[in-house]
Amino acid sequence: MNSVYDLIIVGAGPAGLTAASSAAKAGLKVLLLDEFMKPGGRLLGQLHQEPGGAWWNGIREAELLVLDALEAGADMETGVSVTALERTNDNRWTIWTNKGCYRTPFVLLATGAAESANPLPGWTLPGVMSIGAVQVMTNVHRVRAGNRGVVIGMNVLAMAIVSELRLAGIELAAIVLPPRNALSGKASDPDAVLSSLLRFADLAPNAMLKYGARFFQCSMLHNLALHLYPKRGIRMLGVPLQLRRCAIEIVGRDAVEGVLVADITVQGELIAGSERFVEADFVCIAGGLYPLAELAAVAGCPFRYMSELGGHIPVHSENMQTPLSGLYVAGNITGVESAKVAIAQGRVAGLSIAASAAAKKAPSEAEIKDSMEQVKRTRQEALIQFHPDIATSRAKMYQSELV
Amino acid sequence: MKDASIIVCRCEEVTLEQIHEAIRQHACSARETKLRTRAGMGICGGRTCRPLLDRLTMPSEGDSLTDFPLKVQPPVRPVSFAEWGQSS
Repeated sequence: MNSVYDLIIVGAGPAGLTAASSAAKAGLKVLLLDEFMKPGGRLLGQLHQEPGGAWWNGIREAELLVLDALEAGADMETGVSVTALERTNDNRWTIWTNKGCYRTPFVLLATGAAESANPLPGWTLPGVMSIGAVQVMTNVHRVRAGNRGVVIGMNVLAMAIVSELRLAGIELAAIVLPPRNALSGKASDPDAVLSSLLRFADLAPNAMLKYGARFFQCSMLHNLALHLYPKRGIRMLGVPLQLRRCAIEIVGRDAVEGVLVADITVQGELIAGSERFVEADFVCIAGGLYPLAELAAVAGCPFRYMSELGGHIPVHSENMQTPLSGLYVAGNITGVESAKVAIAQGRVAGLSIAASAAAKKAPSEAEIKDSMEQVKRTRQEALIQFHPDIATSRAKMYQSELV
Repeated sequence: MKDASIIVCRCEEVTLEQIHEAIRQHACSARETKLRTRAGMGICGGRTCRPLLDRLTMPSEGDSLTDFPLKVQPPVRPVSFAEWGQSS
């Protein structure tokens, strides 16, 4: 049992890394744990152009954050999975991992988000993967997922990754909607999808999204846009975005051979006889993200369901503290947003923990206040608003009384 | 589209139709659906289909939902008996 650390952070993504350097600089002994072999979390997959033309290279950003945390004195272990978390009688937390057990007064959960599945017939065939998995294969492992892919699902994450796959020279045959069933919900409704595309098209981080969306911008009415929308789609950097077509089944004997697609009405109903086969050797399912909060649940933290934030969120205050003594959260576990917001939240968590632990160089009240303001500013400046009501939902969460 | 050909829980090969049928027949909660169909009880511990089961059994949207519909049990990641034994 290792109990030398003041703070153990689960997840070395943007939030966890930033929290580690903030807390270590304030004088705390910090350990960062991550289950991937490399620190950086989902930053590692990110590569896009900012509106000014500069490139956001997530691998580089991650390296800088790692360097900062190590220089501040934080320790880091990768390839370690935390399996359980428990508050013990001595007012400390016990953390179980696949490589030993730790005891610590403060725990920060910065576990990020996970991808939702969107099942359809054939989705268990080899060659079907989540779009995030394709991103990791491409940008982190430099492995080609296949020769010709089909993306099922249209959302902000999917569009960003489609652009990355294009940069990597991977051919995509089409982006289609998921089939309508009890699980796909609004993701299979052309009108709802169009609204969500419009929302971020304006603020798109790269030219592809912006130019591709021009068509929608010019159309006065959604319904008109949907009626006029060509069945074969509108090309976005060479990939047809088919808002009026959905996948019916992924076809293949031992692995993906293609996708059966069909045209749909403006209301999302299948048009009989319009089925066609699209050849492909891999399929990316883009089901969106939800906060990964299993450890908070195991620890006994209360939750609130907030669809704007992506699902069940551990109750927490603006300084990232949960109602459980010594347990903090930061990053996408508190709601799905951009890496920059996660970085800003990580700083809040690191500073609040340092203050609560009465660290040697504990930050002043003003410094913590300032870091919380920084989160709001970052959110306002964010290029992609994952949901229009994020700020309101956040405020609602912070108002909910802590037990 | 046939719900019978949509597998929701890959580990236990439970289909959307089977889950719908259980919910229809027994007006199941998320937990009861899991126990009746075995969806979410496979080797991965429900890491992929737990959110799907939650979605299918969610009563209605709103802030009144405070807890995870399906209880989360440790270990939250697959771990070998050897590792489990050593860590405690």
